[in-house]
Amino acid sequence: MAIVATTTKFSVYGRPVLAWIVGLLFFFPIFWLVLTSFKTDADAVKPEFLFFFTPTLDNYLNMTENYDYWRFATNSVITSVFATIFALAVGIPSAYAMAFNPSRATKDVLMWMLSTKMLPAAAVLYPMTFLTKSLGLFDTHFMVIVVLMLINLPIVIWMLFTYFKEIPKDIIEAGQMDGVNTWGEVKEILIPLAWGGIASTALLCFIFCWNEAYWTVRLTTTEAATLSKLIEGNRAPEGLFFGRLSAVSAAAVGPIVVLGWFCQKQLVQGLTFGAVK
Amino acid sequence: MSNRTLPRLLQTPAVILLLIWMLVPLSLTLYFSFIRYVLNNLRRPEWTTPSFSNWRGFGNYEFVLNSKDFLLAIQNSLFIVGSILFLTVALGVLIAVMINKAFPGQGIVRVLLISPFFVMPAVNAVLWINMILDPVLGLQGLAVAGINDLIASLQGAPVVGWFFSLWPEIEPISFRATQTSAIAVIIMVTWQWTPFAVLIFMTSLQSEDQQQKEAAVLDGAGTWSQFRFLTLPHLGRPIAIVVMIQAIFHLSLYAEIEIVSRGNGNKNLPYLIGEFANNNIGAASATGIFAVILANIVAIFLLRMIGKTLME
Amino acid sequence: MGRIVLEDVTKSFGESQVIPPLNLTIEDGEFAVFVGPSGCGKSTLLRLIAGLEDTTSGKIVIDNEDATQVPPSKRGLAMVFQSYALYPHMSVRKNIAFPLRMAKMSQSEIDKKVEGAAKILNLADYLEQKPGQLSGGQRQRVAIGRAIVREPAAFLFDEPLSNLDAALRVGMRLEISELHNRLSTTMIYVTHDQVEAMTMADKIVVLRAGNIEQVGSPLDLYHTPRNIFVAGFIGSPKMNIISGPEADKLGATSVGFRPEHTDVSKTEGMWKGRVGVAEHLGSDTFIHVHDTGLADMITVRITGDIAVTHGDDIYLTPQLDKLHKFDADGLRMA
Repeated sequence: MAIVATTTKFSVYGRPVLAWIVGLLFFFPIFWLVLTSFKTDADAVKPEFLFFFTPTLDNYLNMTENYDYWRFATNSVITSVFATIFALAVGIPSAYAMAFNPSRATKDVLMWMLSTKMLPAAAVLYPMTFLTKSLGLFDTHFMVIVVLMLINLPIVIWMLFTYFKEIPKDIIEAGQMDGVNTWGEVKEILIPLAWGGIASTALLCFIFCWNEAYWTVRLTTTEAATLSKLIEGNRAPEGLFFGRLSAVSAAAVGPIVVLGWFCQKQLVQGLTFGAVK
Repeated sequence: MSNRTLPRLLQTPAVILLLIWMLVPLSLTLYFSFIRYVLNNLRRPEWTTPSFSNWRGFGNYEFVLNSKDFLLAIQNSLFIVGSILFLTVALGVLIAVMINKAFPGQGIVRVLLISPFFVMPAVNAVLWINMILDPVLGLQGLAVAGINDLIASLQGAPVVGWFFSLWPEIEPISFRATQTSAIAVIIMVTWQWTPFAVLIFMTSLQSEDQQQKEAAVLDGAGTWSQFRFLTLPHLGRPIAIVVMIQAIFHLSLYAEIEIVSRGNGNKNLPYLIGEFANNNIGAASATGIFAVILANIVAIFLLRMIGKTLME
Repeated sequence: MGRIVLEDVTKSFGESQVIPPLNLTIEDGEFAVFVGPSGCGKSTLLRLIAGLEDTTSGKIVIDNEDATQVPPSKRGLAMVFQSYALYPHMSVRKNIAFPLRMAKMSQSEIDKKVEGAAKILNLADYLEQKPGQLSGGQRQRVAIGRAIVREPAAFLFDEPLSNLDAALRVGMRLEISELHNRLSTTMIYVTHDQVEAMTMADKIVVLRAGNIEQVGSPLDLYHTPRNIFVAGFIGSPKMNIISGPEADKLGATSVGFRPEHTDVSKTEGMWKGRVGVAEHLGSDTFIHVHDTGLADMITVRITGDIAVTHGDDIYLTPQLDKLHKFDADGLRMA
């Protein structure tokens, strides 16, 4: 109960030290993953090489050979990028309509959209497998993109909606008086004004797509399999391949963690649907 | 009317897509949950294709309710979700209050702290269960072995050796057994989601009324009273939101369970559905409907809360 | 050209009708001011004319063409918003040029017009800045510039001065009046400030709860208000309105007399009262008189100075030829 005992001395020295310790503790597993990725598979399980060892890049250099990393990574990039683009393409007009031309049903529509996000994916596992297989879309990029887009669409629309709401309605109306049509409103006024919000929405959507681990695992085998599937498929090396597995894992999460640093503020808005400011 | 029609229509693509996404698979699930539908059955091949003639009524639901696994999965789901919620909120509030005030390197600590949230669930599970928690080769195993070695070497030491010879050898914990693997899942998800709670609580703390706090100081309130009577009530709403959002996410926890505890009996609802879906689609679908009901109970509260702030 | 005719226009939001059937003609070149207390429907009326709100029923005719179903972008009207509504992501130059660009005008012509407008509005030095770097008055000028380059059939102003401080407001008021004199284009101006209405308008439209209470020139409204509401709304300080036995004696249910049409004496007069607050402005003195038995407070205005202080007795006599008499319905009697 550090809080009870707070003194000025604690605030000045104790609090920062404690904060740093907590921060490092939370980061430690990631650090450990990266550290292990520079050890050989043999060194990785030897206590004498816990922190001091001869670093090697082999694990990274052999990622293609060991795991076919680039194929999965390419699939992750393709599916996440296109899912994000499509989610924005559908989401921007929709959020625009709801923010600037609300009807009495708008609130209910928004809530309903959110409720689709809350359906447990597992509940529709077999029907989805069944449908994709009967449509011949199982293990295709197309299907993964569609599913990733749909599961993120409610969040995308919500985030965009909260950003668009911040644009004064007067400005949109000034545009109408100045002779723009609907397309012009979106292109000339809305998108330039909400550019920052759209970018962070896209970033967050991309991160969610990249990390998705239910449908990407269940609806693919090899062709459209993403990094989630790759890692899941090599889940238990029983100590044999800690080095190489760490390398491929670090390569799978590294870019996303860095991207995440840039949109941590937007994350709050995106994940709480604007309910925490 | 006239000139606002087109702009309003722009929301229809999203509505239609989500409508299909929600209705089609869910109605199929509902349909399958009322029929006998299995993928392989040599004696009753007619059950392998979905059809109304295989109508089973509530039979699948009865079957699921009577199966030992279902109760276990519900218990496990609630245990896992409940523990994670408690830990993330408690840790989240503590850490948020601790790092909210400016100190040297605050920005870096924030970045360090938020990082786990962006780690993909599959990597999270693989990293923890292998590299960290493995009883022999993971950090845990290495640490335990190291301590045992240390004790063993001290037992031969003069004077104090007798003391250490009383010590038992420490047993590393295997997190791949039924009960302990649930704990492993709780550890890794707490690690991943505490940052989320911290981030939200910090955002909320920034909007805390500083003048109110100053007034409280003038009124003679100590640090603890300030925390208890100002900060904590201020955080009430974000805590509720964090709890509900996490509940929804964690009720459908899958990758971590799959990776940590495949086949060892540590099941939650999504995992059970996956198991059923290997053959008994009827049972998988009935379980799915139960999962929907469970999620809806939480979702209704969450939606109410969000709905209130909407349109403000 | 800019003649705007409203025929039986109504507007309802859900169940509540904010504009009951309303008829109004604004002649080409006129400076019309919609004035009324907040919530009287004046802004809604302006937005109906602009096309930003759809009419519930009735017709809006602009230059003899039915514009009721025409979208705002096609009505040929320009609007200046209370918040200025400048495009924050565009420079001043681009803001002013925006409507021209939307009209697909050639670049050289756009440049010429923008430079012209900038010169009229003293914005030439700010053309490359963003609206966020400008002061309130400058932003207001940009908004006006954006409106005038289009050469619209009419200008619509929605409380354009209410975000400016008092001194700037007087200056901008003059500028807008001058602009009207120079362009002779129809202007419709919405305000809750009757001083703005009186000083700028050719024609004032007084609104209350969506109803037109009176339409007329500023002096018409001042001298012959049609009812008690208009009488009380136009003129500053407000007209004194009394009812009861003293009004009966003067032959009406209610009687109004303006502060400036009241004679004051320290020794004799029609009504006796006690001085409350006396505001000495130098050129004028406003005296708030209590305990007259007429109303809680009677305000009088005297040109020049008068030596009265708080608590003095004072006698008031209304100028009988400038009395306003109202019947039981609050309407002006003959």
